[in-house]
Amino acid sequence: MLSRPTTEQILLDLRAELLSTIDAAVSEPAAKVAIQMMENVLRNCATRAAHEIAWMREETAAMVEFAERVGSSAAASDELRAALARHRTERSDSLHLDDVAATYSLAGECLSTALEAALAAGADELHVAGRGLLEQRLEHERAIMGEWTMVGRG
Amino acid sequence: MPERLGRFLTARDGTRSAVVRHYEAMTGGYSRLMARAEVEWSDGSVETVVLRGDPPAGKAMVETDRDAEHALLQALCVGTTVAMPAVRGYDSSGDELGTKCIILDHVAGRSLQALLNEHAEHELDAHSRDLVDTLASVHSLDVDAVDLPLPRPTSWEDYLGDLIDRFRQADRTHVESVPFLRYVAAWLDAHRPPALPLRLVHSDFQPANIMVNASGAHLLIDWEMAHIGDPREDLGYYNVYSSTAGPNLFARDPEAFLARYRERTGFGEDAVNMGTMAYFSSLAAVTVYAQILRGAGALARGTNSGLMTTYTLSALSIGHGNFLAGCVAPIPAEVV
Repeated sequence: MLSRPTTEQILLDLRAELLSTIDAAVSEPAAKVAIQMMENVLRNCATRAAHEIAWMREETAAMVEFAERVGSSAAASDELRAALARHRTERSDSLHLDDVAATYSLAGECLSTALEAALAAGADELHVAGRGLLEQRLEHERAIMGEWTMVGRG
Repeated sequence: MPERLGRFLTARDGTRSAVVRHYEAMTGGYSRLMARAEVEWSDGSVETVVLRGDPPAGKAMVETDRDAEHALLQALCVGTTVAMPAVRGYDSSGDELGTKCIILDHVAGRSLQALLNEHAEHELDAHSRDLVDTLASVHSLDVDAVDLPLPRPTSWEDYLGDLIDRFRQADRTHVESVPFLRYVAAWLDAHRPPALPLRLVHSDFQPANIMVNASGAHLLIDWEMAHIGDPREDLGYYNVYSSTAGPNLFARDPEAFLARYRERTGFGEDAVNMGTMAYFSSLAAVTVYAQILRGAGALARGTNSGLMTTYTLSALSIGHGNFLAGCVAPIPAEVV
């Protein structure tokens, strides 16, 4: 396959064309709002294309490691053990996007149950550590989102 | 559409006939199709109406019930002092206008958001007072004295539990795990605030949904997610919404904002304060969030499509940030 230009570059090029050629030729207000929205979505997709597999893999490893730590503590719950078991049996090392996303979701379930167990047990140190993973996830989401406003509202 | 609308209005009027002189789509409505029409009646009068209709199946960012919205609008117009544009008609089947569609009086004015976008600094205090008074007018309505076509929760405790549980439901029904949701639900459950009387909650209370007429009066629009619930939901939702689409009139002077709200509603400081504002800033957006997440899930399953659904995916990330911000983490032992 052709890897260069990257998908990120192609999408950003499309975005530039949308803004420079198409937006300039459009005057209808609803269509102009749609163009602004498409510009934003293309920018989001470009960032995802560049990073999403790496970010999901990194987060998956961190979420499962944290869940195992909670699972080996006094805070462990049956739900957490079940989530970890499901991750072990259903996870995939494939780098195809659907497989990465499916494994990421299994790891997300491990984090959810681990955080619930930590809160229920009043395990503050584990609570803070798990929350740190949510903040890391949010940081990635914000990088994808970029500048986002309610286009056309008002 | 102009011809259809003319026939529709003529049939409803009974004595006069209507011709639509101008018709245009309106921008700014995220959930429903909106249009504005200038109508000339056979007696020579001219007026403008607004159409609010359902998008085609599978194209809506959020799914709400037009029948329920129309019934609520009728009840609010007839039985309350809540200021809103009058309902002029409703095509409940979509047979006449092509989609289920509510016809409303057009407000000759601008949205509060549009006014705020061009605000002068010295105008903000007055806008802040007006905003609080508008919200308080909704929350002061005695829902037991008015026949509103909305479900009545059995108690505040049960209602809050159900509201918190929407985070868990959203996670359970989505196409992938979203770990923010059950964490926030667990935190909110463990830190419940004092109760307040259940009241009418607009549920999308933001300046873009407040029309300001020529005399400066506020008229609230977009009632599709209104329900009977905790009035602080609207306060929290306003705060998080305006943090994204400012200016945030609460954040300018939080204590004064809440003091005026308490004065106008009669609610006490034990229930309306900075702590409960933070709590409901975390909780309140779950209604809108869950709708957007449902749209995202439908898109992933191939049962929904459309630019609006894709574009608002980023609003979910804003929601995650707001959820976390209201849930205060414990301070690690080594810091204490």
